[in-house]
Amino acid sequence: MIQFESVTKKYPNGQIALEDINLKIEDGEFVFVVGASGAGKSTLLKLITREARPTQGKILIDDQDILRIPESKIPVLRRRIGTIFQDFKLLLNRTVFENVAVPLEVLSQKDSHIEKEVSAVLEKVGLLEKANSFPVQLSGGEIQRTAIARAIVAKPVVLLADEPTGDLDPKTAREVVELLEKINKEDKTTVLMATHNESIVNHFKKRVVLLKKGKIEKDVKEGNYDAD
Amino acid sequence: MTQIKKTLKLLRRSPYQALAAMIAMAFTFFIASIFIFLALGGQIVLKYVEERPTISAFFKDNTSEVRINEISTNLRDSGLARDIKYVSKEEALAIYRERFKDDPRLLESVTADYLPASIDIYVKKPQDIEEISKLVKSQQEVTDIIYPKDVAEQLTKWTKAIRLGGIVFVATLMAISFLIIIMVVGMRIALRRDEISIMNLVGATKWFISRPFFIEGALYGFVGASIAVFISYAFLLYYSPNIQAFLGPIQVFPISPVFFVYLWVGEVLVAAAIGILGAAIALYRYLRIK
Repeated sequence: MIQFESVTKKYPNGQIALEDINLKIEDGEFVFVVGASGAGKSTLLKLITREARPTQGKILIDDQDILRIPESKIPVLRRRIGTIFQDFKLLLNRTVFENVAVPLEVLSQKDSHIEKEVSAVLEKVGLLEKANSFPVQLSGGEIQRTAIARAIVAKPVVLLADEPTGDLDPKTAREVVELLEKINKEDKTTVLMATHNESIVNHFKKRVVLLKKGKIEKDVKEGNYDAD
Repeated sequence: MTQIKKTLKLLRRSPYQALAAMIAMAFTFFIASIFIFLALGGQIVLKYVEERPTISAFFKDNTSEVRINEISTNLRDSGLARDIKYVSKEEALAIYRERFKDDPRLLESVTADYLPASIDIYVKKPQDIEEISKLVKSQQEVTDIIYPKDVAEQLTKWTKAIRLGGIVFVATLMAISFLIIIMVVGMRIALRRDEISIMNLVGATKWFISRPFFIEGALYGFVGASIAVFISYAFLLYYSPNIQAFLGPIQVFPISPVFFVYLWVGEVLVAAAIGILGAAIALYRYLRIK
């Protein structure tokens, strides 16, 4: 369970990214965090991975206050969380297989284990035949699926997706979210997806947390999103 | 082993920086080897000179062997001489013949009568040379004395100067190599910025991210110092006839291979330490992860 208790994040330039956020996300939930650009969606996700620290408040993951985790233990926290970045963050000089293998290399897994796990996850996202391709040889959807494969290969309990459908056409965007839904259902992975894609949110009928100027405006189960 | 393989793979991706670092290391440690040879060679020469008869006293023709023995005993009793060796006219002739064996003209008509009897006095301490030479000179039968009184002193001075100059020069080169390592590792950190950031976000520890750079630094040292020792060994081997000819009777060759093993181990350890320290500073300076 992820819990935000009166969390405020203020940047050094005085800009308030998040204000008094109180949010509880149960294990295995699928949540859309929606809002316009600059509403604080990405900051919310960054607070969970300790890429950023709140100015005030508490963040608990499975009842553990993550702000009390010492710097040296942050990698342990991050291994429990898979992240799909807005800009994919794939390594251009590595193949799909090698990109997906990074989280397992970080865990110093054996080559044979890496081979097995990466192949399984590539099959799950439908990219096994592209294992030896480089990112420049992939389509937008394939790049995103590679990023998803990398995010789930180490079997995280939480999956954070920051605008994963940003640059994709509607059909591919829907396929990507369907894949996230499959991961959520099959692996019981908690999914938090930041997006401002109305049609996606409205199609999938999941819990919707709407952020407006850093505050939670709405938190509805099976909600909708109207960008206007 | 896997880590070394991975590091080698990374080095192959941008080999010129790696080459620059290794060449700097190799040059530094080659120069260091040369100074080590000079310093050790200086010690051998100094030892040789110190062990030579520091004073040779020549006697008038009519001095009897009994009288020479008497003088020798007096000198021995002074406590300043470590050993005194009598060289008769016949022995002097033998030495002369040996030294000029290639020049028969110089051997013609020279007999033992032409050469004076002498004693070689080995002093206990170099600083006693002056005192014992006064003692020898005071003997009426002594016609002449030879003592290279300043040779050892000069040689000591030179050896010290070489050692000091070597330390300063090699330390400067080491500092340059060190800076090159910092620069090269810094550039590689910048080149792998994206990879480092991703590794950091997927849960890599700082040590996991830093480790390849430490291995890289150590590898520069290892390869550089190994090349240096190999080249200096080949250099010494190639020039050994010239060096031996220059040193004359002072025997420095052959040098035991064990010496080169020690030299290699020592230089590799120092070079690897420089590489690791350089990498540590580069990581401290350029690795920015949260």
